[in-house]
Amino acid sequence: MARARSRIAGVISVFGELLITAGVLMGLFVVYSLWWTNVLADREADKQGSEVRDHWASAAPGALDTRDGIGFLHVPAMKNGEVLVKKGTDPKTLNNGVAGYYTDPVKSALPSDKQGNFSLAAHRDGHGAKFHNIHKLKTGDSIVFETKDTWYVYKVYKTLPETSKYNVDVLQPVPKESGRTKPGRYITLTTCTPVYTSTYRYVVWGELERTEKVDSARTPPAELR
Amino acid sequence: MYGWIWRHLPGNAWVRALISLVLVLAVVYVLFQYVFPWAEPLLPFNDVTVDGQ
Repeated sequence: MARARSRIAGVISVFGELLITAGVLMGLFVVYSLWWTNVLADREADKQGSEVRDHWASAAPGALDTRDGIGFLHVPAMKNGEVLVKKGTDPKTLNNGVAGYYTDPVKSALPSDKQGNFSLAAHRDGHGAKFHNIHKLKTGDSIVFETKDTWYVYKVYKTLPETSKYNVDVLQPVPKESGRTKPGRYITLTTCTPVYTSTYRYVVWGELERTEKVDSARTPPAELR
Repeated sequence: MYGWIWRHLPGNAWVRALISLVLVLAVVYVLFQYVFPWAEPLLPFNDVTVDGQ
């Protein structure tokens, strides 16, 4: 009797320890997702970003280099400094703390194109969390994209706080859902929402307002000063 | 389970505590370096793109 009871107690205590272990494991996963991936991604993004800037400083003006990254996104309302933009939106690219422009399912235009939609994705949480504060963007806020030779100044004209992840139409060259019907030079930011999950997608649309030539001191446009 | 591990560690209480700490750190390292990066894409927390799939 006593032995049977102690065996039951043993089983229960192992079960309890397993539950505690599972709890600690999940806690560690949260730490990993929300902190450690940011540490790694920010480190990597800084490295890649300075490589691009070094490249710009040394190379003569010329063709757009899409391999290292095409430029930097500055969104004052998100208060996150500059975000390197690279080609593609696969997790391997985005996990390095950069934003990626879409190649699939709808191919993104580049800012230099005469018309089209420059569509970007980046992480909301973890891996640099570059679009964490996307909800701070309001109509009229500026989004500045910096390339080697040009500042592209966009103004936000529409936000869509929640849409299905299957809604690829938001990336169309003329994003009808934003209310625009004519071809133009648009920018689209996408990320996941609500924060810490990815049930839906958050979309912000902007339209090119003007461009500025980069001067020798790389003086930023008024929006960034 | 943890009691069993503790009883099978060598040395006095201090040595055991030290070994336990090293074991815990090793487990955390393996989790952060290998297990979590593997598990993360399988969990629906961080998909940021819109796509047709």
